[in-house]
Amino acid sequence: MKVDTSKCVGCGNCVPVCTMGVISVRDKKSYINQDECVECGACERFLINKKEPPALVRIARCILGALKLGYQAPLDACPTGALYQPDIEWPRSVRRSFSDPTVPHESTGIRGRGTDEIKTNDVTGRLESGEVGLVVEYGRPGIGARFKDLEKMSKALAVQNVEFEIDNPVTQLMSDKSTGEIVPDVLDEKVMSAIIELRTSIENVPAVLQEITRVAEDCPTVCSFGIATRCTENGDVAYEQLVKELGFTMSLNGKTNLGLGKRSEEAAQ
Amino acid sequence: MTNTLHRRGTPEGLQEDFIVFALTAKGHNRKDAAPKIKKFIELALKHNPNSISSSSFYSYETGTDWSKVYDGVVDNSHAAANFSDLRSVKNFISVLKEADLGICINVSGLLEQVRQCCSEVGISRHSVEHSLGIIGKRDMLPNNQVLELNTMCGHGMVSFNLIAKVIEHVKLGKIDVKKGALLLAKPCMCGAFNTVRAAKLLDMARDSF
Repeated sequence: MKVDTSKCVGCGNCVPVCTMGVISVRDKKSYINQDECVECGACERFLINKKEPPALVRIARCILGALKLGYQAPLDACPTGALYQPDIEWPRSVRRSFSDPTVPHESTGIRGRGTDEIKTNDVTGRLESGEVGLVVEYGRPGIGARFKDLEKMSKALAVQNVEFEIDNPVTQLMSDKSTGEIVPDVLDEKVMSAIIELRTSIENVPAVLQEITRVAEDCPTVCSFGIATRCTENGDVAYEQLVKELGFTMSLNGKTNLGLGKRSEEAAQ
Repeated sequence: MTNTLHRRGTPEGLQEDFIVFALTAKGHNRKDAAPKIKKFIELALKHNPNSISSSSFYSYETGTDWSKVYDGVVDNSHAAANFSDLRSVKNFISVLKEADLGICINVSGLLEQVRQCCSEVGISRHSVEHSLGIIGKRDMLPNNQVLELNTMCGHGMVSFNLIAKVIEHVKLGKIDVKKGALLLAKPCMCGAFNTVRAAKLLDMARDSF
């Protein structure tokens, strides 16, 4: 994201909106730290462009300031529409596709950071009985992450008898799925968050969870992780006891696939 | 897409926060799915949702006019309906079962309560997903009140600073909690943000910050 300094009046309304907290006001103009900006686009979308003439707004701010009256635009407005999204080229473009949920990934054509996980498991059969899906998200909530840090996790997990989800955009950035190495171009790129998705056997869950917690301990951001499976016929969850015995606390809330999906003729074709 | 998996909150708070999703999988049940997803929205609207959203039409700015969401649905759209009470969720699940749309239906919320709903309407849940929490540099996280509001948008579009700013405006009486909740929902592009719960959280934050 960029600031058109010829338009910016330094009202500071974009400062709190920034998901990474990297917009500040310097010399009466908004300033975006480009190395830390993840190109999520939240600031430009959130702030209504009031299209007011910059010169007029500056004069009004001066007069109101001299009268000790603060200038207060509505919280969700940019008086002059000073923010703009320039074209972004590779490798910086990964910042946008991983951070802006309205922008599809070049690799998969899908928006968002992950895949449907269990949400379509009733028709895809992605996770069968005895299999477990794990999601490891770096950067969330609200901190951001760089791929060089995520790569430490993907490399550690690659040797744990896991299968990375092929349609996941992080998997698509791996130069070698057997080692978990990520293409060097993007290692310094920062994103809102990125998710490693993998599948493994229920027997392998202790080793994988142990590795996740070991690597996350030293990561410079936060790591949210989760576990999924297909239920037994009576709706029980095979990993529940195991995960509790390993000392992990499972959330009270989560996702439930009701199993109402049906494979259509499309699947047969 | 873990956009609702890591919602934080007390059991009491989460009792008023359920999202029912409809989606399809390419190559499995996506072809000609648009009318089925529209039917999902029609049925949801009969069960007192806080909001309706679809991946084809973003923004809470529609207010209560959900026709833009409905009209924007295409075959690969996701749709979501946000609820504050379990009874509505149960009734909605029941009519979805009856309607037999063939699209994938998921519920995000307290797992045992959702399981109970399923059981009462004669559904055995197919798959589940739990969050195992947040690890790593937890000292970088804000307090729980901010975190509860922030995690209601799983894509992380509602910034910690915006939440703090809105709480400040609520405390100063510049805006009411309802307006504050709508402002916080605005950056959320997937419609998972629960404005009713957010208003309650803002109300509590007003007194405790």
